[in-house]
Formats: sequence, C-alpha cells, structure tokens
Amino acid sequence: MADPGFSSTKRDPIKSSVGNAAGIRRREHAVTVGKERRESLVRAKRLCRVGISDVEVDVESDMMIDEEQSILESQTSLAVQNLKSALAYQGKGAMQKRVGALQKLRRLLSRSEFPPVESALKAGAVAILAQCLSFGSPDEQLLEAAWCLTNIAAGNPEETKALLPALPLLIAHLGEKSSSPVAEQCAWALGNVAGDDEELRNVLLIQGALIPLARMMLPYRRSTVRTAAWALSNLIKGPNPKAANELICVDGVLDAIVRHLTKADDESATEVAWVVVYLSALSNIATSMLVKSDVLQLLVNRLATSNSLQLMIPVLRSLGNLIAGDSHATYTVLSPGLAVTDNAIQVMIKCLKSEQRVLKKEAAWVLSNIAAGSVEHKQLIYSSEAVPLLLHLLSAAPFDIRKEVAYILGNLCVAPTKGDEKSSLILEHLVSLVEKGCLPGFIDLVRSADIEAARLGLQFIELVLRGMPNGKGPKLVEQEDGIEAMERFQFHENEDLRTMANSLVDKYFGEDYGLDEL
Amino acid sequence: MEVTQALLNAQSIDGTVRKHAEESLRQFQEQNLPGFLVSLSGELASEDKPVDSRKLAGLILKNALDAKDENRKRELVQRWLSLDSAAKAQVKACLLQTLSSLVLEARSTATQVVAKIAGIELPQKQWPELIGSLLSNIHQVPAHVKQATLETLGYLCEEVSHEVVDQDQVNKILTAVVQGMNSSEKNNDVRLAATRALYNALGFAQANFSNDMEREYIMRVVCETTMSPEVKIRQTAFECLVSIAAMYYVKLAPYIQDIYNITAKAVRGDEESVALQAIEFWSTICDEETDILEEYVGDTTGDSDIPCFYFIKQALPALVPLLLETLLKQEEDQDLDEGAWNIAMAGGTCLGLVARTTGDDIVPLVMPFIEENITKQDWRQREAATYAFGSILEGPSPDKLVPLVNHALPFMLSALVKDPSNHVKDTTAWTLGRMFEFLHSSIVGTPIINEGNAQQIITVLLQSMKDVPNVAEKACGALYFLAQGYEDVGLTSPITPFFQEIVQSLLTVTHREDATESRLRTAAYETLNEVVRCSTDETAPLVLQLVAVIMMELHKCLEAQNLSSDEREKQSELTGLLCGCLQVIIQKLGSSEPTKYVFLQYADQIMGLFIRVFACRNATAHEEAMLAIGALAYAIGPDFAKYLPEFYQFLEADLQNFEDYQVCAVTVGVVGDICRALEDKILPYCDGIMTQLLKNLSSDNLHRSVKPPLFSCIGDIALAIGDNFNKYLTYAMNTLQIAAEMYAHTSGFDLEMTEYINNLRNGILEAYSGIFQGFKNSSKTQFLIPYASHILHFLDSIYMEKDMDDVVMKTAIGVLGDLADTLGSNAASLIQQSLSSRDFLNECLTSDDHMIKESAKWAKLAISRAISV
Repeated sequence: MADPGFSSTKRDPIKSSVGNAAGIRRREHAVTVGKERRESLVRAKRLCRVGISDVEVDVESDMMIDEEQSILESQTSLAVQNLKSALAYQGKGAMQKRVGALQKLRRLLSRSEFPPVESALKAGAVAILAQCLSFGSPDEQLLEAAWCLTNIAAGNPEETKALLPALPLLIAHLGEKSSSPVAEQCAWALGNVAGDDEELRNVLLIQGALIPLARMMLPYRRSTVRTAAWALSNLIKGPNPKAANELICVDGVLDAIVRHLTKADDESATEVAWVVVYLSALSNIATSMLVKSDVLQLLVNRLATSNSLQLMIPVLRSLGNLIAGDSHATYTVLSPGLAVTDNAIQVMIKCLKSEQRVLKKEAAWVLSNIAAGSVEHKQLIYSSEAVPLLLHLLSAAPFDIRKEVAYILGNLCVAPTKGDEKSSLILEHLVSLVEKGCLPGFIDLVRSADIEAARLGLQFIELVLRGMPNGKGPKLVEQEDGIEAMERFQFHENEDLRTMANSLVDKYFGEDYGLDEL
Repeated sequence: MEVTQALLNAQSIDGTVRKHAEESLRQFQEQNLPGFLVSLSGELASEDKPVDSRKLAGLILKNALDAKDENRKRELVQRWLSLDSAAKAQVKACLLQTLSSLVLEARSTATQVVAKIAGIELPQKQWPELIGSLLSNIHQVPAHVKQATLETLGYLCEEVSHEVVDQDQVNKILTAVVQGMNSSEKNNDVRLAATRALYNALGFAQANFSNDMEREYIMRVVCETTMSPEVKIRQTAFECLVSIAAMYYVKLAPYIQDIYNITAKAVRGDEESVALQAIEFWSTICDEETDILEEYVGDTTGDSDIPCFYFIKQALPALVPLLLETLLKQEEDQDLDEGAWNIAMAGGTCLGLVARTTGDDIVPLVMPFIEENITKQDWRQREAATYAFGSILEGPSPDKLVPLVNHALPFMLSALVKDPSNHVKDTTAWTLGRMFEFLHSSIVGTPIINEGNAQQIITVLLQSMKDVPNVAEKACGALYFLAQGYEDVGLTSPITPFFQEIVQSLLTVTHREDATESRLRTAAYETLNEVVRCSTDETAPLVLQLVAVIMMELHKCLEAQNLSSDEREKQSELTGLLCGCLQVIIQKLGSSEPTKYVFLQYADQIMGLFIRVFACRNATAHEEAMLAIGALAYAIGPDFAKYLPEFYQFLEADLQNFEDYQVCAVTVGVVGDICRALEDKILPYCDGIMTQLLKNLSSDNLHRSVKPPLFSCIGDIALAIGDNFNKYLTYAMNTLQIAAEMYAHTSGFDLEMTEYINNLRNGILEAYSGIFQGFKNSSKTQFLIPYASHILHFLDSIYMEKDMDDVVMKTAIGVLGDLADTLGSNAASLIQQSLSSRDFLNECLTSDDHMIKESAKWAKLAISRAISV
C-alpha cells in the first residue's frame, strides 16, 4: 500500500491498433441508427398533413420581428455560399463538410414562419442543391438536399417554380434503388411542388413522377405509403383528368388502395383516401374501377370504425364522388336490402350527428345522391333515423348544409323520372315531411341569393302546391309567406327562375285565388 | 471476541482457518456494527498490536465506508450517517490518534479512512473541526506525523468537493501544503506527501490562482520542487504542472518560458518517469489550445471566454527539436507490448498534438529530421524519421502535405517490403495508414492514390499482411483507411477491381495460426467491415457471396467443442467479430432494394445462427449478435415477426442481463428496432416486454446508464402498437410519473449527475411522445386526459429549473405539441394555464437550435388547433 490511489496519467499513444477504435465506432453507429429512426418516425407522425382539417389555423407570427428576419436572410445567403464552397472543397472530410453545410441551410429554411426562401433562391440555392442530388451521392447528403428543397417548395408558387431544374433528380431518387428515407423526402418535396400549381403538376407528369410515386405506394411500409399517397394526391388533383386516368391503370395501384384501406393505420388510410378523392372526382375510368372493387364497402367500414376527422373527410368525399359519379354504385353496390347499404346510411347518420360542420355537409351530399336513386332507396332513407335529423338541420344549420339537406328531402318526395316527363310525386313522403314542418325551410331557400338554392325552394313549393291533397297546398304556402318570397322574382334577372316563380304565382294564386273563402 | 486473532487468521494461508475467521468477523459486523467498527478502529490505533492485524482492520473500516458500485456506496454512506454518534466519535478519535503512530502502514491506512469519513460528513456539515484540528499544530509535530497529516489533507481534497470547504480553510490547507513542499523542508517523505496533497488540492485553489501574489508563490514552489533531488518528488511536481496547465491555462503566460526550460531539462536528462510528465505538460497545453481554437471556429462573434495565448506556436522552434530527440529513444520490441509507454511514444504523441495545434508551421521544422534520418544504417534513426512523418500528418493543410506524401509514398512502399527491421516496417505501415486517413479521399483534388499507383499500393499492403502479426495488423489498418477514403466515391470505386483479392487476403489473415497476436484478427475483420461498408453496387454480388462465407465461419466457430478456457475465450471473441461482420453486411445489402431481396433468402439461416450465439455466455458476442439482429429486423420489416417465437426468450433473457449492462442496453435498443420493423405485429410479445422494461426501471441493481433508453423504449412500443398500449397505460404512466417527479430537479448535483438526469428526462419525455403519438386519432384518447395535468406540470418544473440541455428542450417542447395534438380541445384549458405553453414555448421559438425551433413550431401549431376548436 505504498502509493495507493496515486497513479500517473497516461494518454493513448498516437500509434494505436485500428481494431479497437473501429469496433467501438461501428457499434456506436449501429446504436445511433436506431435513435435516428425513432426521431424520423416521430417527426413524420407529427408533420403529416398538418393543417388539412377544416379548422384553418392562424399561426400568428409575433415571434419574428423584422430585424430578426433580415439577419435570417443574410445567414441564409451565407449558408448557400458555404454550401458552394463545401461542394468545391475536395479535401479530407469533404463529405462531412457538405452534409454540415446542407444541414445548416436546411435548418435556416425551417426556422421561421416566413422561411427565408427568397434569399436562398437569390443566392442560387437550387442549382447547388441539384448538384448535391447527383447520382451516387451518399444517402445523408441526398436526404439533406431533398429536405432543403422540400422547404423551398413550401414557399409561394413563384418560389416553387424556381425548383424546376431540380425536379428530374428528385424524381430519379424516387426509384427502388434509393433508401426509403431518401425516396420519402424526395416524394415530400415533389408533393409540395405539385400542391401549388397546375403548370408544375404538368411538368412533373411529363417528367415521369407518377409511376415511381405510384410504386412507392405498393409495399406496406407506413411512412412510405403515407408520403407517396400524399404526394400523389397533390399530383393528380387536376383539373386535367389525365393523371388520374393514368394512375388507376398502373399495375397494382387499385390493389394497393384496397389493401391499405383494409389494413393501414388511420394516418396512412387518410392519405390513400385523398388519392381516392381525386381519382373519383376526375376520372370516370377510375370511378368505375373503384366502384367495381371493394372500395365502397371499405370506405363505409372506415367511416363506421374511425373517429378521426382527418380520415373521415376524404373517406366521406370519396364515397360521395363514387356514388355521384357512377350509377352502378347506387343501383348495384348499394342496392336496398344489402347490409352495406344499411351500413352506409348508418354512417351518414353518424356524420350528420357529428359536431363537425364539414362532416355534416359531406354526409348530406352523399345522402342526396343516394336519395336520387330508386324508390326503394328513398323509402330506406325515409324510414331511417335520418329524417328527424335532416328536418332539424334544414331549420337550424348553416346555409350550405341546409341546401344539401334540401336536395335530400326534395329527392325523397319525387320518384325517378324517365325522359322529360314531369316528376311524379311520392305523396306519402311529401305529406309527412310537410306535416313535420319542412316547408318554411324551403321557402327560406327561395329567399336566398343563391340561384341553385332558390330553384330548389321553388321546385319544392311546386310540389306542395301541386301535390298536397285536398288543394291544401296554396294555403300552406301562403301561411308561410311563400307568395311574398316568390314575388321577389318578378323582375329577377335570371329568366328561368323568373318564369318559374311567375307561372307558379299565376297558376295557384291568380285572380281566382281565395274566392271560395269569401 | 478476540479481534486481533480473527484479523490475523483472516490472512492465513490455510483456507479453513481463513474462512472461519472471515465468517466470525462477518457475524460480529452483522450483530453489532457500532461495536465492530469501534473494535477495528481500536485495533488500528493500538501500537502494541501486530502490523498485519492493524492494516486489515483499517482496510475493513475503509470498505465499510465506500464501494465502487454507486448503489452500494449510497447504502454505506446512509449506514454510517445513521450510526450511533458516540461510536462514530470513538472511531474518529482512534483514527486521528493513529495519524501519530510510528508504524507507517497504520498511519497510511488511517489517512485514507479519515478522508473517507470526511467525504461523507463534511457535505452534511458534520465534523466541522476536522480540518482545524489537523492543521492546528502541524508546525510542532514530528516529521512522521506531519507526513501523515499532509497525506490526509491530500486524500481529503480528493474525496470532497471544493464547495464544502470554505475559502478560509482552503487558504490554511494550501499554506500548510505549500510550506511542506518548500525546499527548506528537509524531510523527503514530508515533501512528497505535501506535493501529492497539492496535486489533489489544486481544484480548491481557484481564488488563490486569481491572486497574483499567492499564485506567484505557489508557482515558484512548484517549479522549485521539480528540481528536488528525490525522483518521486520531481515526478509529482511535474504532475502538478500538468494539472495546472489543464486547470489554470489562462494564468500561465508569465511562467511559460521557465517551464519550458525546466521541462526541456527533464526531457533531455531526467529519469523516464519524470521526463514522461514533462512531455505530458506540453501535450496538455496542446489539448487546451486545440479546445480554445475549436471554440473560436464555432463562435463567429469572436468573443470567446478563454483567450488563446499560442504557447505552442511560440515554443515551436525549441519544442519540436526537443520532441524529435525523444523519438530516437525507442525500446526494442515496444510494438509487441500493447501496454507499452515510453519516452519515444510520448514524444511522438506530443508531436502529433503539436501538429494539430499549429498546422503548417511544423512541417519545415520536421522535414530536415526526416530527410536526414530516413536512410540511415541504424534502424532507430529510420524508425524515428518515419514516426515523425506519421505524427505530423494530421493538422497541416493538404496543400502542404500532399506533395510531400506523393514524394515519400514510393519510398514508404518499398520500405514496407524491404526494410530489415520489423520495428521500421510496423511504423511505415502505420504512417501509410495515417496518410490515407487524413489525405486520401475520393474527392481530394490531387489524389495521393491514383490509377498509376493504386495497384502497387494494394499489392504491397496485401503482401505485408503476410508479415509478422504486428506489421500485418498495421497493414490492415492502412487498408482500412484506404477503403474508408472511398466512402463517398459514387457509383464506381477504384477499389472494385481489387475487391475480391482484398477480401480473400483479409479472410486468409483471419485464418492465420498467429492471428490472435497483436490483435491481428480483430484488425482484419474490422478492415473487412470497412471495405464492405464503403463498397459500391458494382461489388454487391461479391458482398452477397460473402454472406455465405461468413455464415459458414460462424457456423464452424459455433460447432467447436471441448475447448480449454483460453480457447473458449478466443472462440467468443471470434463469434463477436463474425456477428459484427454480418451486421455490416446486413446493413449494406439491406440499404438497396434489389440486393435486399436476394439477401433475404439467407434470413432464416442467419437468424438460426444468431440464435445459436446466445448459447455462448460472452457479453461482447451477445452485444454483437443483438446489434446484427436489429439490423436484420429493419431490413426484413414486418415479416421479422416469424422469428419472434424462437428469438423472444433470448431477447427477454438479455433484457435481464444486469451484470453485463451493455448487453442489456443494446438489447433495449434492439427492442426499439423490432418495434419499428414489426409495428403492431409486436403486440403478442408486449406483455412480456413491458413487464421486463418496468421491472428493469424499478431495479436498483441495473447500471444507471440503461435507464434512459428503457424509458425511450416504452415510447417505441406505444408508437408501434398505438392504442393497444391502453392495457399498459396505468402502469407505464405511473412509472413515468414517479420518475418525472424524482428527476424534475437537479440542484445540488454535480455536472455529470445533471447530465445524467437530463438523459433520464429525455427518455421519460420520449416515452410520453410515443404514447401520445400512438394514441393520436384513436377513440381511446380520453384515457390519456387524466395524465395531462401531471405531464404539463413536469414540463413547467423542468422549465423553471433552467438546466435543460438542448436535447431535452427539443423533446420537451415536442411533448407539449403531442399532448395538444392528441388531446385537442380536451386539454385546451389545462394547456392555456401552463407556463410551458407561454414562456417555455416562446423561449423555444426563439432558440438558435433549429431542432428546438422546429419542434416548437409544431407545438405552437398543435396548441393553436387545440384551443381554437
């Protein structure tokens, strides 16, 4: 115990074996990879389709004062310059330098509510970032460069256009040879580009973005499916239906949609549902293929089992598009007597009951399309729990919902027509609905400035005047100030409505009106 | 009981006697701890007892106060503090009395025990009279007592933190210590004890080093002490200088010239133990200046706290020749001894640090030495010249070095083959490795490896891999860096034409009879890993072929039976290396889709092999196999589920491996990998995994470093299984809540502990994030509502503590966002009441760290949605 606890320091010799350090580095790397994957998973979960809900978020920017913004701008120009010199630098550690410079730029571009995109563009960021995307570059570099471009693409449309030179490379890295994080980041950037502007969408389509994005949607890897579907939904949103037509014809896409709607988690399903929304809105081919598959059933199931607003919106809209777009949907898939039809009506009722205005409106639209179907469809709705809800909505809901509801109720009262003949009444429905007090709601619509709503109102008044038994119609209309409402059209600029209103007044409230009462 | 006899018997060579004695001592301790400790201290203090029983008594006392294991140590401290105070007073009195003993061993043991008790009691404001009583009559006592007193003060400074001793006492300690060092002190034992005490007390001397007069005095005495006639005193004095260089760099300017003179003299003429410390002084100055200069680079404002005095730059013309001289003092066969450390090695290491500190300036000072010696007859001169060249390759600019390297490369290659000295060849191969490490890269402007010489370089290195093990090991190292330089090469690599030959040669090396010498086999496998990692698609088919080869190696290795313990150790090491190699291959082939699909044909067999690895009880092998399985799970994705029925038991077993806590830590990480790969398919195993995770978290026997990843892993599971996590929610939230309360505050802890607490907080917060994000958009979010208020409170408290690091800050603000995102309007009013949603959020929004800012923006968005609905 001569010198306990007193040992001289000895440092590691400069000349050492490679094995020890290399092994430690390798194991540390393996552990770090796991941490990074956790990080990116959480990030993706958070950032997925932020702000798509109907609640428009006003993120006020009180944190950023002008001075800070100008500092940020000059830092950004500097960061682009640094990136240029890092690219030119050819010495040891060049890779780290480049990735470091890219990260710096990416961070600046993610910093404020007003990212300094303009400064980055002025400094020539796009060309240099495109260079960073060149083939054979390491993943880390590709990822960072694509990330920078993603942030730039989130700027205003003019700024997004500046990305043109980088688009071919972003598309190239979507391929199967790329690692998933790189492919996803590129898809993200392209999704941003496509979201803004039809012209850019066309450019992307010409450059062949559609097929690789579609392929990314095929395997079941949550984050890839989610990102690819999101980018696709932006890419095909038209108005030209060509992209939607092409997409549905890509091998495996229809299957993938069916599979993901069956199995995927809510967030992935949400993005896939948006793809279905645009496919069904734009492409007749797609609509008919989707209707023939199990999609309608799956959409109904999703609505029944989910409470996620973000998912329900596109699912509901898809359903509406499909039902409105292809009569096959109503007459064959949703034919009365099938369980799926009952389920469909039940989920619409669920949505009508929801607190969310957007769900109510979309559900009413879907129901109005079903209500336009066969007499059996009308009976099904009429005898469901929906009617009291609809009557309440017609009197108390915001205008746009009332209008949709009016379509449903109107449709319930008339049988399907053949050719030009005048619509024939379903008297039982009409009498009962009028007795339950729906007339004031329709008359209210007549007073609105919206031509379509006014027409709906007038049409319903016509039904009441013509159809109510014992000639009670005119009396009822008069009691609810219907005459006054119709007289507003006496000099209306819309000839159609003017004629319609005037002829109704003439026909039912002409010189003879009220004589028998005297 | 007769303690003396028991203590002597406990050191008997007769095992039975010894066991019996140990048993009776243990019983005594259990039955009457105060009595036991008092007896021991009495034994130690009795001058008429045998020295051996006194020594052991002191040792047992010391072990009753301190342990290496953190938890055990805490227990012992608590046990001492709660002991009867009369007994404690008696023990302490005996110990202080022993400091005057004439028997050196008794004194010396007592000094340590006194310091241990001081380490426990002073922070509790107990034993306040200790330092005063030690110092009270230090000038009147005989030399041996003075020595023991100074030694006690030295240990005391090592045991306690400087915050618990007031400045007045510090001043007194330093005065006594420095006086004891003074050349007027004629007793060498006293001077040595004083110098060692100063070494430990330097951390207490902040105030004294800021006072010019006191600093002058201390420095003068330390410098004088370096010239003591006694070698141990000189060595310790230099150690003090090293420590001063690290702690008080900014105060050194007035002394640096004198110190140079002193150190130069020691390096040139003193004993090696002294010379090594003299060199270490300059290495430490290099460390300080590189830290400061790195700080400068990161700090654009230029107002860094610590100024750089450029001592190395100024000393360069004198320092470099001094260091070059040391290179010629090699020991024969130093390359064969892994732990060797001598003046030539220290000098070269210091030269390397000087090159890093000063850059280009060093080159013209070293080149003449190299040119003059590299072709000399004496191997020492050739080796020293090569070593000097290798040492300065990091630091100076490529512009400066590349021409020199291009010029030297052919010579080096030929020396590696032809030089008659193994020592020279070893250093030559190492120097080639350094050239490739620092100057070769696929994107270097004028590459040092080009079409013209690549063939020759690789041929020479492969040939050299057949040389004696230490040379072959260095040749592997050179190849490692050669491969690494092509990491970013793009689609086609200049290595491609040689790939097969290189792999073949490395495999041949691993089969050498003497591959376990000089860590040759490890170097060969790690080099193979690097060659694979940095390969391009062109050689993917060859890497695919390698899968079967390495699998066969692993199979053969696992087959070996009836091994001696030495052989078994080597087998375990090899198993680890092979699993590591497979991990790299899996990562490589899994990173591109086409190769992944071909590779996945082997998945069943590979997994079968890994499972067999768990039969061997070696920590490193388990760790490597686990990491490889993590990589495999990621490559396979959800289909990895099919291996779980068989693999699960090993996963669970390694989660319980507390002894090899690194294995446990790695396994926790692999659970996370598997969660991400399997997503909800992990569900059937979650009962077992969650049970184990929660058990581990509540255990006191698991190394503390595993706890942060354990928390994060709970988040990984929740992310994977979504609202199925509901069944664990109560238990998990309860555990998290208890931990959160425990780690909300850091006051009173040192830096290291604060860092650890921040790691724990990060883990806890990652768990919360995982749970919230897992439940997002599910119908079960209402189950989370009851926990919201506690979590917000936790965020508020750690915000108020103002001690978060950036990582925690980012995770914490993310949790705020996740909470708002998942609970929405349900938590709106709670969020609005919390401090975090205002002050903390604003602070994060204006952070310089982009990651914090990004998370904060997310939180802001989520909150504004939650409160607007």
